[in-house]
Amino acid sequence: MLVGAFACAHTPQLLSRPETEDRDLVLRVHTAFARVKGRLQALRLDAIAMVAGDHIEAFFLNAVPALAVYVGTECAGTFGRYRYRFPIHELLARAIVEQGIERGFDLFYTQDAPLDYAFYVPLHFTMPEPSVPLVPLHVNVYLPPQPTPRRCYEWGRALGEILRARSERVVLMASGGMSHFPGTDRYASPEFDYDRRLLDQLTAGRGRELAAITAEELDRAGNIELRTWITLLGAVGDAKADVYCYEPSWHHGNAVVEWPL
Amino acid sequence: MAALSALHYRFPPGSAYRLNRCLFAIKSDDAFRARFLADARAAIDEMELDDTDSAALLRGDRDALVARGAHPYLVFMADLRLRMEREAMTFEDF
Repeated sequence: MLVGAFACAHTPQLLSRPETEDRDLVLRVHTAFARVKGRLQALRLDAIAMVAGDHIEAFFLNAVPALAVYVGTECAGTFGRYRYRFPIHELLARAIVEQGIERGFDLFYTQDAPLDYAFYVPLHFTMPEPSVPLVPLHVNVYLPPQPTPRRCYEWGRALGEILRARSERVVLMASGGMSHFPGTDRYASPEFDYDRRLLDQLTAGRGRELAAITAEELDRAGNIELRTWITLLGAVGDAKADVYCYEPSWHHGNAVVEWPL
Repeated sequence: MAALSALHYRFPPGSAYRLNRCLFAIKSDDAFRARFLADARAAIDEMELDDTDSAALLRGDRDALVARGAHPYLVFMADLRLRMEREAMTFEDF
């Protein structure tokens, strides 16, 4: 069963705040994360399926999967003093790989890749208590050519169908965005207006329109990571978004969103 | 429509593979980063970079590195990880 859908920002500055970051803004995003955590607890989950874009951490140029599933018993990642280890819901992960391939998506799978911070920053704040196993789902966002938004949407639609047919209670969570340009001369000037227009579309239940965005437009708007959201949108269809927060920092549009199902 | 060359994140050319591998190691390999901090030139030699890439990396010249085909995100995070160890940066951990 697909019982919930959320999207969360994941900038590491939310976890470990340097002096460059506005403390009150960071705490407001934490408040939105706490709301998500409360919802996840109320939903009595068996697993979290999380769609995130790798920051060239799990996958380097020796193998660049467009879409991947972590299948195995557990996954782990490290960021400075932070150490994370999550059990994987192996049965569900395997079902997603097998049925995804059966449906024509040539998925890559891994049993041995470091978990990127795109996964564990949101989970640090939102993992329910007691914790539930994870199914990490990867979408290539940083190494062009990335999967097209339309392909992400189609994969999300298949993923939604796979999850709805399962007996487990599963939440789909997208990690990423919104506008930011790390490593470029645009770092301090994200496209906040673009983000706000997108959030208006999502609030109106017009998520399917995002499947038509081009790769070039995503790059220009600092929204290459929106591919994870678009994957989720394929699964939730025309559900209307409830925006918990949109907090533009000096370098990043931080959003936390639920699609009540 | 912007030309493809104007994209912020571009296909990493094969000619920049060693450079990107070196930046990836600074970002994600704690042991390599420690060797780089101790002796940057020796660490770069391990990665078999050519003179132009080596010089750009030693200068920390982002624009030159990106022009050579380095991935901007790798340049960004490699630089950040080095600065976090070289400078007394303070963080509030949640």
